Amino acid sequence: MSKHWNIERRTFLRGAAGALIPLPFLNLMESAAGAASRDLAGKAKPPVRFVTLFKPNGVHPPSWNINGGVENDFRMSPLMQPFAKHKDDLLILDNMGDFGFSSHSNSTRRFLSGHHTNSKSASLDQLIADKIKGETAHRSLELTTDGLFTNQIGCSYISYDKKGAPIPRESDPQLVFDRLFRNPMYDPKQRGQITSLLDRVRDDARALQRKTGREDSETLDEYFTVLRETEQRLENMKPAAVPQGIDFSKLKRPESTSNLDEQVNAMLDIIAMALWTDSTRCISYMLGNSNSRMIFDFLGIKKQHHYLSHFFRNFSRSNIDALLKISLWHMEKFDRLLTRLKSYKDQNGSLLDHSVVLFGSGMGHSDNHTAQRIPIVLAGKGGGILKTGRYLRYSENQELGRLHLTLLQKFGVSEDTFANASAPLPGLDGGAFDEYHERPFDSWVKTGNGKITVQGRLRMSDDLDEAKIFYIDVKDKPTVRIDVSFRDFHKFNLAYHVGTPIVLSGNRSERKGQLVLTKVTDLKSLFGNSKPGGAKG
Amino acid sequence: MKGHVDFSKILTETDADSQYELWATVAEVIEAEEMPPEDEPPLSGKDKNTILNWHRQRLAAPIEERPGVFRPRRLSGPEYRNTLHSLFGFELKVAVVEAEQTVVGEQSLVMKLLPTDPPGESGFINDTHGARLSAVIWDQYTQLAGAALEKLFSKKERDQLGHLIGAPLQEEWTTAEFSAAQAEQLIRTFVPRAWRRPVADDQLAKILTALDGKQGEALVAATKFELKAVLMSPSFLYRGVLMQAEPDKQQQVDPFELAERLSYFLWEDQPDTELMKLAGDGSISDPAVVAAQVTRMLQSPKARSLSESFGAQWLLIGNLDELLLKNPIRLHALKTQPLDFLNYLFTEDRSVMEIIDSKVTFVNQGTQGFYGKDRKRMKRITVPKGIERSRTPNQRLTLEHAEGRGGILTMPGILTMNIGPIQRGTWMLRQILGEQLGEPPADIPAIQPSPPGENLSFRQRFEAHRSDASCARCHEKIDPLGFALDGYDQNGKFTLASDQAKGEKPPPPIDTSGKLPTGEAFKDFAELKAILMTSQRETIVRNIVEHTLAYALGRKLVRSDQPTVDRITKNLCENDGTWKSLFVQIANSLPFRETIIVTSQKKNHE
Repeated sequence: MSKHWNIERRTFLRGAAGALIPLPFLNLMESAAGAASRDLAGKAKPPVRFVTLFKPNGVHPPSWNINGGVENDFRMSPLMQPFAKHKDDLLILDNMGDFGFSSHSNSTRRFLSGHHTNSKSASLDQLIADKIKGETAHRSLELTTDGLFTNQIGCSYISYDKKGAPIPRESDPQLVFDRLFRNPMYDPKQRGQITSLLDRVRDDARALQRKTGREDSETLDEYFTVLRETEQRLENMKPAAVPQGIDFSKLKRPESTSNLDEQVNAMLDIIAMALWTDSTRCISYMLGNSNSRMIFDFLGIKKQHHYLSHFFRNFSRSNIDALLKISLWHMEKFDRLLTRLKSYKDQNGSLLDHSVVLFGSGMGHSDNHTAQRIPIVLAGKGGGILKTGRYLRYSENQELGRLHLTLLQKFGVSEDTFANASAPLPGLDGGAFDEYHERPFDSWVKTGNGKITVQGRLRMSDDLDEAKIFYIDVKDKPTVRIDVSFRDFHKFNLAYHVGTPIVLSGNRSERKGQLVLTKVTDLKSLFGNSKPGGAKG
Repeated sequence: MKGHVDFSKILTETDADSQYELWATVAEVIEAEEMPPEDEPPLSGKDKNTILNWHRQRLAAPIEERPGVFRPRRLSGPEYRNTLHSLFGFELKVAVVEAEQTVVGEQSLVMKLLPTDPPGESGFINDTHGARLSAVIWDQYTQLAGAALEKLFSKKERDQLGHLIGAPLQEEWTTAEFSAAQAEQLIRTFVPRAWRRPVADDQLAKILTALDGKQGEALVAATKFELKAVLMSPSFLYRGVLMQAEPDKQQQVDPFELAERLSYFLWEDQPDTELMKLAGDGSISDPAVVAAQVTRMLQSPKARSLSESFGAQWLLIGNLDELLLKNPIRLHALKTQPLDFLNYLFTEDRSVMEIIDSKVTFVNQGTQGFYGKDRKRMKRITVPKGIERSRTPNQRLTLEHAEGRGGILTMPGILTMNIGPIQRGTWMLRQILGEQLGEPPADIPAIQPSPPGENLSFRQRFEAHRSDASCARCHEKIDPLGFALDGYDQNGKFTLASDQAKGEKPPPPIDTSGKLPTGEAFKDFAELKAILMTSQRETIVRNIVEHTLAYALGRKLVRSDQPTVDRITKNLCENDGTWKSLFVQIANSLPFRETIIVTSQKKNHE
């Protein structure tokens, strides 16, 4: 942690000599919230922020799952490599989910609402937003990249209001930027007019309400609620309240973007900026609709993401490679968000230290839509409410609602139940939890006469650019490399066995002192079926 | 798999009625013993009979025709856009240069700023009950109202301002000369039009008082402010908040409400001067007057909204947008063809069944290749020099020789939008025949390749694949429809046409025969189409009536709408009724003309 933080912000801004504030921000400037609360109370704690990042279309489990790890001793999976550098700030949860299979639409609702039947309640982010909004100008932001998937509208929303109705999302970084930093509410000349307008239309609406005398005035209730929210925003957006004298006109408005990558990068930068300026404390962002049809042409991929995500039924080597490229891109965006949040100082730490970031999806296996082992990673210590740097694999499947309930309680929302959950999820703060125990097995390797037999856990290469390479780790010996033809890979269905202990026999060669299995002659699973049944993958 | 029904949420008889289509499915799966699932205890014979008897009685019970309970509705994005346009006389547009082969995105500032409306329970976006007003939308409304008012007072829109004031403004007139009399005239014209009904004197007086004593630019500013408040009022943003009605009583809606319902139904826009006049003297309540108005309104270009919004949302034609995002010229050709065809059916008094089979189609350069010899009768369009490729307007074409065409089902856009026999069959079953299908199960195994030595077609392999009983339930309905279209390739080309160009390899034989679950067998799509036109006619007409009524009412249909649907369906079937007749019958139907306002906390919202 650097001492350079003492540099005066205004000096810096002046030093930038009318230039726009560069991105990424230097690790110099105090967040608006941190400083403001310190000014008031001398030593007050900065607020805790809540950000969720939704990954569409589940995951490819062989490359995502961590296998064989325990709480404080685990190896991050190949797909996690892009954000492996943040390991100490992560709390990776495993065995989260539900039972059976689930549609895209249901799994999307599950991500922040615990269960798809929890359709009359606000989602997690909205409940937290109400609690932590403080006097920020924007209670929350709901963001996305994709348009609406109207065939199954539920695929397009993770955030729901208190009646369970979907909250419109915004996808254009420029429009979001303008709302945050170019808002007329900051303009003293326009503020008076906005206030008068609110007063005037409220009078109208009240007159209507009196005249109709209808008790059934839900529509007008909704209208009054928005008036109140707008008024509150106006109050919170006093020019005097512009945080720390940061001149918003100096913030750089994003260029209009030409592809998805640029669009998401711009939005992630705005997210960090919005938190840093304390414009809001709660943001949900979808990297795509749950069954996103997006085409990642900037990665050289011509097929739709949803099609590729059904990697088993649409199996081909090039489809898998394309899917993994897309998945790695999603992981890089998570990394970018964490890196940005770390680059801003927030009192005696970084913005990330005082945030909780929830990253994940609503389903696990993207081909057969299982609801088990849903990818869920928490990042940031949340000002101490989470103990990070750990991997929690629960012994039994835990509904997402339990995680949500815990987060609600940690954020000070007094709820005893959420969705189907009535007990919080243990272990997030370092407390005891029931950890998954694997059946023990030995690992060994035998060689002779050009042949090799090796027993141990099969894993994918950490480098997904060589996704056809597998490894088996052997105790006290160098790892054995599995480098076989597509025919063998397919015939013995290696991907199916990833993460589990097997005995693999075949032809041997050597490469840089490492044993390499080059052709499979036999595969036995230690505890499961050697041959997977049917296509249920 | 029909699953995911939470019966614990259905507590009252009213709830049960609003789910009436669900009960048919429940009865069906219980009778077929597909439910409860194997891992749950089976129903006793007695319980089973109780449920089935209840359902039979309920179905047989006479249904009382009633209007839905009234609830105001926020204007949808397109309704807001059109209303603002009619009110001001100009459009708000995004600055962007248009070019051929270039996707410019949304050009209406309204549509760009407002979040895309999700379809409501009815499947249509004018059903905005689920799309609540939010602080973000509020900000966008403020910005849009501000932009429109700025523009109204700009030099460029001088004529429009003069028009609203009721006296032309001279070329050299400036806003500094804006007079109290002009402001008053503007308010008196603008407010009733914005709120779509006469406004009480005391309310107008309140607005005018706020302008008292101001002159020139100060008066302009104050007037803009007052008009902005008018545009931000619930009376503008919502439909129906000003409706005059007695509580807790079924009654005719007031004439202005009726005018508004009619204009948003046929135009997606506010009532024009003539409708307002008919509402003002009350004559709009006469069904004959409504019929005459429907005729008049269908002749207006505004009736294009029926195809652009109602038709496109019903038939999911918007799905083409994403599919052909990168090819705007092809998108234009494939999308405007069905839209122009629907517009023709809707506005030129064509039979409702002509949607299935028609001698008329609309063709441009992008689609002419599908129409064989008939295209020779098209007017030639010469492309100016220096233009590489451009979109061309559709021409009306009478089909004489083209094989496998006529009607919307085999339009290239529809065939392109639905990929493969399963999507095509599902689309036809849901959108045309009105069948309620559940979600497909998620754990579908992959379709197996041909066993070694056998060369099975996709259809043969698929039939082996879906022999499972729970799959067959839906697939026995979907597959015959979808496979009947196998003679059309993924771009919609009819590969079985007899007039294939010489030298072209004859296509491999394709099995397009099938049998509907209702028993009718056919050997190819032409025969299936004949079946659709005859024995399936009533099913299709009923589906058309249901969709049109739901769009007209801006809500999902409930059980008490059934008698209306039944009556109109019968009428159309017996008289080979036309779309215009359908629109008139809906506009004169009880749920459209009547309402109930509930003041107690009963929940059964319209």
